[in-house]
Amino acid sequence: MSVVPWYDGRDGMYSWFWRHLPGNAWVKALISLVLALAVVYVLFQYVFPWAEPLLPFNDVTVDNQ
Amino acid sequence: MSLRVLVRTFSELCITVGTLIVLFVVYVLFWTGVKADADMNRQIEQLQNKWAKGAARQTPADSAQGGGSGSPAGSPGPGAAPAPPGPYENGKAFAVMYIPRLGFTWNKPVLEGTGTEVLKKGLGHYARTAQLGQQGNFAVAGHRRTYGDPFKDFPKLKRGDAVVLTDGTTWFTYRIDTGPYKTVPTDIEVIDPVPRKSGYTRAGRYLTLTTCEPEWGRSHRLIVWAHLDSTRPVEAGKPEALRR
Repeated sequence: MSVVPWYDGRDGMYSWFWRHLPGNAWVKALISLVLALAVVYVLFQYVFPWAEPLLPFNDVTVDNQ
Repeated sequence: MSLRVLVRTFSELCITVGTLIVLFVVYVLFWTGVKADADMNRQIEQLQNKWAKGAARQTPADSAQGGGSGSPAGSPGPGAAPAPPGPYENGKAFAVMYIPRLGFTWNKPVLEGTGTEVLKKGLGHYARTAQLGQQGNFAVAGHRRTYGDPFKDFPKLKRGDAVVLTDGTTWFTYRIDTGPYKTVPTDIEVIDPVPRKSGYTRAGRYLTLTTCEPEWGRSHRLIVWAHLDSTRPVEAGKPEALRR
């Protein structure tokens, strides 16, 4: 396993990421899955609730409170 | 750093952004509804528990007041005139609304306030407008889309449709007089005690519902107006509009 910056590898950032996960392919897949779920959780719990009011669907009042 | 890496990285970024957008659409169209439905059901459950407890220790003295405010027609017997509930607590549910035209099982909690967080959990009562069933204009806002789509079928409302509310002691049946009226977001006159454009000329017990127009937009608002048609104590059973 070579420790090179992702942009020096042969492939893109995800394969760099994959190469730097520990364990065999199964362990890597499991870790990736857990990380992906964690990202989705953070998005749904914190990022999207922040971003959603910026869309126009919330403006239902006539006095803009 | 080869061209291959550049192209590969760029395509991976595109895939990532695409996935983000799809996830966000799922969140807006689906997940807000799941959360809002759960929240609304919980609000209604809490209200009903509270009312069940309240009813147990209600005394006849409770019905003594309320006469001063002149109950509208059709509130017979003791207990019919509800105690003015006192100021509603901001962000808390205080009533349940039923609109048979929007679905026989359509019922939503009404919370005090019209802030973004409040409207995620149910319909919002404009804090400076009249209280439920009282003289003046009881004005309520709700989402047309997202967060459970409570007012999705708002344009279907028409003259004569019932809007029924209960605060645990009384059923209030409002009848819609003026069908969906399109206006601009700054038209705050529509929630005046006597909204000028509704055709009402005298003081009375009115109800105003507001939502957004177009369905997914923010440029306009849709309004319906209703007047209080009848009230009945909850012990007397559901009002006619909700029976089938």
